[in-house]
Amino acid sequence: MPLTLEIVTPEDRVYSDTVDTVVIPTVEGEIGILPGHIPLLTQVADGELRVTKGSETKGLVVGEGFAEIDGDRVKVLAEFAIHEAQIDENAVEKAMQRAEEALKGREKLESTEVERLESLVRFSVAQLGVKRKRR
Amino acid sequence: MASTRDIRHRIKSVKNTRQITKAMELVAASKMKKAQQVALAGRAYAQLMADMLATVATRVNEKFHAFLAQRPVKTRGIILVTTDKGLCGPLNGNLFKLVLDIKEPAKFAVIGRKGSQFLARTRRDLLADFQVHDRVPFAEVKSVAEFMVKQFLEGAVDTVEIIWPRFRNTLIQEPSLLPLLPLQNLKQAVDKLRYDSRGPAAKPDDRYMLFEPSPRAVFDALLPLYINREVYHHVLDAKASEHSARMVAMKTAKDNATKLIDELTLEYNKARQASITQEILEIAAAQYSQ
Repeated sequence: MPLTLEIVTPEDRVYSDTVDTVVIPTVEGEIGILPGHIPLLTQVADGELRVTKGSETKGLVVGEGFAEIDGDRVKVLAEFAIHEAQIDENAVEKAMQRAEEALKGREKLESTEVERLESLVRFSVAQLGVKRKRR
Repeated sequence: MASTRDIRHRIKSVKNTRQITKAMELVAASKMKKAQQVALAGRAYAQLMADMLATVATRVNEKFHAFLAQRPVKTRGIILVTTDKGLCGPLNGNLFKLVLDIKEPAKFAVIGRKGSQFLARTRRDLLADFQVHDRVPFAEVKSVAEFMVKQFLEGAVDTVEIIWPRFRNTLIQEPSLLPLLPLQNLKQAVDKLRYDSRGPAAKPDDRYMLFEPSPRAVFDALLPLYINREVYHHVLDAKASEHSARMVAMKTAKDNATKLIDELTLEYNKARQASITQEILEIAAAQYSQ
């Protein structure tokens, strides 16, 4: 029996399909989910979420959030989620550079701004990591 | 009576204005549709969050969370959601009326240039003002929510409330005030999410379930997310209100321009007729006197 995977962000429902297995990055390390997993509610960390369907493996970059696993249903609630294919490496690199540049003058910035930039950098690193690994 | 040339100039300038307001009306209409679509797309998130919150709520003692701690209110913390640009009718003015009704000491965080200008003018305690792009990216709204939550936890403010133009329909936007923190109880939060998602009321899952790292940790991380989503939801609502208010204002302006053109055209024709009549009279008088 396949798993039903659903990934939602505040902005959209990013992914909704049946898959064979899924690997979720959590705050305590990566966990692999197969059909029939016991009910689990876990905290998702920034990183790569891998989906295997048949012989094909796809990656998605997800932001912080939660995952609810219940038998053959996996629901992921994430701040961002972006398909591997949609990652524009150049744009990400540029955004990351800008954020790091701004972080250099960290003392002058407000704490919320620093936090925002840091999360941007984390997200960029995760995106680049996924994209480069595939080559 | 004004000369025909003056009237012609007036007509031309009013026609230009009508063209601009018409274009702005169309732009606002399409942006409004987009804002409503984004609000609809967020329903799945609300639904899932409601399920998770309901599930985890049965396993922790909610009394001990800082978000649920009721304390005497000395300073209110208010997030004011306004627009960056004007030309949207009485939308911002109505919000400001609501702000003026607040007599207790309050501190503000504001989204939108109009709001920060207003608060500066009325000398209110403005903690921070934020710019949110027209597309309303979640990350930008999140920093507003997190800023206010931080103020709340540090004790700078004793409540977190939001004032925004509630979208009823295209013609009606109500300035509204909603308390976000402290939460009365979790059930209320879950009900709110269910209402926003228009989803069915599922029973909380009380089967055996693993929590990683622990129910408490999941709960503690989930509640800030709930507040972020609440703020995001209301900012989206405010955007839809802004665009529909602008659309209506521009439509009125366009209709007024059309009416004005009609009146001016009538006046122009009268003036033209008068000058022709005058000329004939003059010629006739000249002939007669010979």
